Amino acid sequence: MLGYMGKILRVNLTDKKITEDLIDPKIARKFIGGRGLGINILFNELKSGIDPLGPENKLIIATGVLTGIPIPGSARLIVMAKSPLTGIWGEAPAGGSFGQELKSAGYDSLVVEGKAAKPVYIWVREGETEIRDASNLWGKFTRDAQRDIEKDVNEDRAVVGCIGPAGENLVKYASVMFDFNHAAGRSGMGAVMGSKNLKGVAVRGTQRPRFANEERLIELSLQELANKGERARRGPYWPDGLEKYGSNADFIYWQLSGRLPTQNFRKCTFPGYKNLIAETVSETILIRTNTCPYCTIPCNRVVQANHPYKVDPDYGGPEYETTAALGSFCMNDNLAALAKANELCNKYAMDTISTGVSIAFAMECYEKGLLTRKDTDGLDLSWGNPDVLLQIIEKIATRQGIGNLLAEGVRAAADKIGGGAEEFAMHVKGQEIPMHEGRGKKGHGFSYTISNRGACHLQMESDDLFEETPYPEIGIDETTKAARLYAGPEKVKLVNIVNNLFILYDCLPICRWTVYPCGGKRLETLSEIVGAATGWDVTMGELMKVGERVCNLERAFNNREGITRKDDVLPRRLMEEPLPEGPYKGETLSKDVLDKMLDCWYDFHEWDKETGIPTGKKLRELELEDAAEEMEKYGATKKGHKKQTIS
Amino acid sequence: MKMQNLILYSDPEKCLGCSICEFVCSATKEKSMNPLLSRIRVVNLEPAGSIAFACVQCNDTPCVKVCPRKALRQNEKNGVISVDKEKCSGCGWCIEACPFGAIAFNPNDKKAMICDLCDGNPECVKYCPFKALTFSSIEEITHGRRKDVFVKLLKELASREV
Repeated sequence: MLGYMGKILRVNLTDKKITEDLIDPKIARKFIGGRGLGINILFNELKSGIDPLGPENKLIIATGVLTGIPIPGSARLIVMAKSPLTGIWGEAPAGGSFGQELKSAGYDSLVVEGKAAKPVYIWVREGETEIRDASNLWGKFTRDAQRDIEKDVNEDRAVVGCIGPAGENLVKYASVMFDFNHAAGRSGMGAVMGSKNLKGVAVRGTQRPRFANEERLIELSLQELANKGERARRGPYWPDGLEKYGSNADFIYWQLSGRLPTQNFRKCTFPGYKNLIAETVSETILIRTNTCPYCTIPCNRVVQANHPYKVDPDYGGPEYETTAALGSFCMNDNLAALAKANELCNKYAMDTISTGVSIAFAMECYEKGLLTRKDTDGLDLSWGNPDVLLQIIEKIATRQGIGNLLAEGVRAAADKIGGGAEEFAMHVKGQEIPMHEGRGKKGHGFSYTISNRGACHLQMESDDLFEETPYPEIGIDETTKAARLYAGPEKVKLVNIVNNLFILYDCLPICRWTVYPCGGKRLETLSEIVGAATGWDVTMGELMKVGERVCNLERAFNNREGITRKDDVLPRRLMEEPLPEGPYKGETLSKDVLDKMLDCWYDFHEWDKETGIPTGKKLRELELEDAAEEMEKYGATKKGHKKQTIS
Repeated sequence: MKMQNLILYSDPEKCLGCSICEFVCSATKEKSMNPLLSRIRVVNLEPAGSIAFACVQCNDTPCVKVCPRKALRQNEKNGVISVDKEKCSGCGWCIEACPFGAIAFNPNDKKAMICDLCDGNPECVKYCPFKALTFSSIEEITHGRRKDVFVKLLKELASREV
């Protein structure tokens, strides 16, 4: 099979059976890889209602056709499973060299099933797989575990992905760390690994796929590598782009435009912002930058500090989401504490966004008297206290005291606390909201409600960006009314196009920083690269259809788990409490507006407006016949009345 | 001789281990995307650091001396070591002899591969995104180093309180 290794590795930890599946070329073309391949497996193989932390759940690490091709952004992988945080489709992408090494070891994807009796790790080398004992690795921080695994397999070029103590303790938003500092952060994929007693996966190999037209592929790759002028977004607010400041270059822009998520979305500017902006980081704690294989954008930060907190550079440095979530969102303006918080999250391996939002939630509950010193083990959870912030992170990771409550995520924690605590729980479908202000960027805000893994910033880019970068070939032009506060049908159309496009990026997979609208590569180039690798005569339209197909199948997966239209909603705060200051003062994303946008969205997608389930007609049009049949039956049971059959 | 010769130099302070040089080399020399076919190879010890290695055209040329078939020859002018593919049997003695691990083995034709500096215009240098690879004389490289140290010293002195 050209462009792919053509094989999926399956490891069953219960009976220690190791098998290989051949990839059906038709499935490959329909789903491309990554996220598409993952949902196809999970939709077909997971029964609805299973316990995400039980042995029935399956963990997938998937690459795609672009993985290993020497263009910027191709070093990407997607980790997937049913999420223990949300109970629905869970997915977390990460960078680093694990993806291409997995491919070099002989496999496009790895599927882990069952549950080991005691801690193990998986070692894949040149097509040979072993399940090895990890008893002495259990409890270790990610870096130490990774180093020990490298020693144990006696191969310093082995690439390791592993969990930390948070994953072992089943913290619902535990992450998986690859290559020391690349995190597959969201949706609690680390907890799924922990539940399987799987500490890590190590891969090493030198194999490579055969390509349809290697000569053309080389030409296109060299062209992409030489295309440095266009390699990163240089908007008015990113004068030096990602190369110099990483994603945190954005921080100052959101502060100055009054849309910086602050104090659990109660405020939108942060007085202490100057301590956290990218320039300050560069001048003080930044010691070097880093990059993924074949990438020309060194967005990865490496920081070190000695005072007042000692920060270990091995765990990288905070990017934008982390800076906002553990900075302004918790009212913490201490940069060294922020860097330390990032280090702790990476060594215990848990998602920085969910951690920050959970801590902010606890701080607001404390302020409102819903949590007292008795509940917090004597900690003073006042806003912005850096010492307490760091202590809570360790408590969450080890599930001690108040940490045990917060380790469940804000939705479950609010249920337990009661007394109206859900007012302060910033989540959609159970996943904590990332650091983009939906009230001042309506498209981004709306995309939180329809994103398949719960609140997610990766299904849409900031509305502002589309004002400057139209792309008429895929339908993004002046008619999509990119203006940031516009919330009508054209905006929904924009979100729809971008949603399909971004899902496609996760299928290929490719890093969003290197492609439209952030970087230079456009869909024309991508489809040409996919064509040269696979030999398919593939068009932009066909690729966009893949995004739509995957979006619908993920939605159907979620419907089976009980998701309906009523779950496509924002927290009351974002719908009713207006932005308190700045240029966007007074803005909300009200329930009325959201409902109209949702109607529109359902119309675009031909989803049933009552149940929120994709129609059989739509699923068939997307060549998802099996899913169509299943969802029609399922939808009929949900309707409450007999569904009319159209002959 | 070597003082004036231009050499391929990888600055570990700037190298981020992206491996683009490996791809560019295998693409240029072997029309392939296989890093195993590259004459320049990256050592990535992240998060500590990384560096790229290629032939440094050393003066005592252990690889040339050890070759039982006299397949290797050093160009007297630029120091480049060439492999006579007719004579090379792929025995690997030169690979063992090279203290830098800078000689690669081509698994396809089973012959040794050594960086030839692309006839004085190395492709890898052109594509290095972080300007870690340079092609210049030892004098220029060491001058750059001395300058960096002095700039650091000046900054240090300026920040001192008296």
